[in-house]
Formats: sequence, structure tokens, C-alpha cells
Amino acid sequence: MAAVAALPDDVARVAPDLPLRANLSALDNIALIPLYQRHCSAAESVRLAQAMLERLGYADLAPLRDPDMTPAQRFATKLARALILRRPRLVIDHPGAMLYDVPYPAFIRQLAERAEMTGTWEIFDFGWNQALYRA
Amino acid sequence: MNFLAASIESLGAKVVGWFTVGYGMFAFLVQASLLLLEPATWNRATFDVVVKQVYFTAVQILHVFLGYAMVISWLFITIILSTARDFGLTEFASEMTIRVLVLELLPFLTALFVALRSGSAINTEVALMRVNNELDALAHCKVPPMQFEFLPRLIGGVVSVVTLAGLAGLLAILMGYLAIYGMNAAGFEPYTRTIAKIFDFRIMAGLIVKCALFGLAVTLIPVTAGLETPKKLFMVPVSVLRGMMRVFFAIVAIEVVSLALKYI
Repeated sequence: MAAVAALPDDVARVAPDLPLRANLSALDNIALIPLYQRHCSAAESVRLAQAMLERLGYADLAPLRDPDMTPAQRFATKLARALILRRPRLVIDHPGAMLYDVPYPAFIRQLAERAEMTGTWEIFDFGWNQALYRA
Repeated sequence: MNFLAASIESLGAKVVGWFTVGYGMFAFLVQASLLLLEPATWNRATFDVVVKQVYFTAVQILHVFLGYAMVISWLFITIILSTARDFGLTEFASEMTIRVLVLELLPFLTALFVALRSGSAINTEVALMRVNNELDALAHCKVPPMQFEFLPRLIGGVVSVVTLAGLAGLLAILMGYLAIYGMNAAGFEPYTRTIAKIFDFRIMAGLIVKCALFGLAVTLIPVTAGLETPKKLFMVPVSVLRGMMRVFFAIVAIEVVSLALKYI
């Protein structure tokens, strides 16, 4: 896990050790990125964040805070936050530790199809979970 | 001999610890001040968070705070007036009321009020953010925690304490007038003259600086105490305990220094 944490700056990570900001809603967690990085206005940032959630099929998550989400919803929010960073590589770090309520390779595949990503998605998982991805 | 060595060692460790904490706070303050000077800091996002902080720290509690200030002011004004009457010093009652309440007691109680309500919450939140890796997550997303989380809290704390102490002071002045002169307008001229005599430039500047320092103490110390928390959940209450003790000592120290500068 330490090796994944030390990945370069052009990698967006979805990881158990990178939680959402607990006192912000899912929408605000995602809207922070355009607000601070691209200096978008508050309204524009919220619009971009909402569009990202809609793209993943989770528009209804917008008002929820981290403790009120299911693991799958939390993962989708973290993924939306990583996607809005617009980095060329996306690393999903130990998905099993975040997605313990859904059959996760299929779930991630489903999200990847919806997200229409241009970059590369990489999954770092334990070797003994390899069989799950072949299914 | 061993006992003596151990005592000196323990004292030395404590002194070094105090200096480390003091240096950490100073370094954090310098970093925050430098960031304040950067034009990039003053974007819409930071401004929105500052407004939110002022709302949570000052506006949300305004009615409770004013009620509390009113009760305390009424009590002290009554004590001062009855004591002044007993000793035949009624002509000094208005000056005494303003000096005790507006210059000393209300700013001090305001700082305690904000420290207990917001300072402890800030300390807990920052400690939890550190323990839960939320700060690392923000850094990964290139959202600067200082700009997004800490600086707005410092500004919000200073603005809130200065404003709340100012409002409480105005309320005390009004109540002092009503207690001394009642609804009679005849006392307006001597009362305003007394106010003008007390609030010269030096006193006014001293009061504002004192309130600003109180505001800084009730936010800066909890933030730095929260950031010092080891990444263990059970250390969060310890961090809040340490932070709030430091806030209390800082508030008392500011008040003592202010009194010494004014009256000694």
C-alpha cells in the first residue's frame, strides 16, 4: 500500500486511506476540486460536480455526507472526486477494502462504462483476488 | 541524586516541550500571515468559508450570547451601583461600570464563550481530520488545507470575538445608562462625556488588539493542538484537553498583560 501512496502527482487515487471530508456533502467534496484548482465560481463548481455524479449514475448522492453513505456510494463519490481531478492515470487502490457490500470487479466495470474515461484505470489488489477479475 | 537528576530531566523535557509547542504555533501563525498577503488566497472559495465560519461562530449564537451578556451586565451594574451608593461615590459609577464591564469583563467572557463553543469544536474536528487522513486526502487533491480549513477559522475567530465583544460592550453601555439615569434624557450629556473620556485612541486600540488576540488564541491554539494529534483515535480527547488548557492559559495571559499595561 505504501508503494501506491508514493505514486507521482499525475495519478488520481481512489483509496481507503484517502477518505472524503466527513463534514461536507458528496457534492461539496467533489466541487472543492474545480473551486480550488481551476478557480471556477462556486456555482460552476457545483454544476461540474453534479454533472460528474450524474455521469456515474449517482446524482442522488449529492446531499449525503460520508457517514450516511453505503460503501458503494462512498466509492462512487471518491471515484467522482478522482475523475474530476482530470489526471491521466487513475489508480484504484485495494477496492476490496472499500467495496465490501457489492461484487466489486463487476461494479467497477459498470462505473467505468458509465464514466467514459479517456485515461487509464489501474487496479491494485491483493494477488489472491485475481480470480475475481477473470469472472 | 538519581531523584534530582530525574527531576531536572523531567523539568527540562517539559520546558523543551513548551518551546516546541510555542514554536509550532508561531511558525503556523507566520505561515498563515504570509498566506494572507498572497492575492491568490483571496478567492471566492476562501471568502465563502470565512463567511460560513463567522456565521457558525458568531451569528448562530448571537441571541444566546446577547442574553448572557445582558444578564451578566445587569448583575455587575447593579453591584457597582449599590456599592457606589453605599460609599457615596455615585458620580464615579458610570465610569466604573464602563471600565469593568466594557474594557475587561465582557471581552474576557466573550473569549471564554467562543473558546468553549467553537474552540473545542475546532480542536476536535482538526484532530479527527488528522487521525482519519482527511488532510492527506485534501493534499492529494491539491486543495490546500491551510487555505480551505485553517485560515478561514482564524479569520472567523478574530472577526467573531471582536464583533461579539463590541456588541456586548454596546449593550452594557446602554444598560448602564438605563440603570443610572432611567429613561430620562437628561443624563445623555454627562454619560457620553464619560464615555468619550474613557475611550481615547490608546484605550480603543488596546481593546481592539486585545479582542483580536483573544480571537486568535481561541482558534489558532485549537488548530495547532489538533494538528499535533498522533494518528490514533483514542488520542483525540487528549488533544482537545491539551488544546483547551492552552487556550485557557493564553486567554488569562492576554488579560493579565493587558491589565498590567493599562494600570501598572
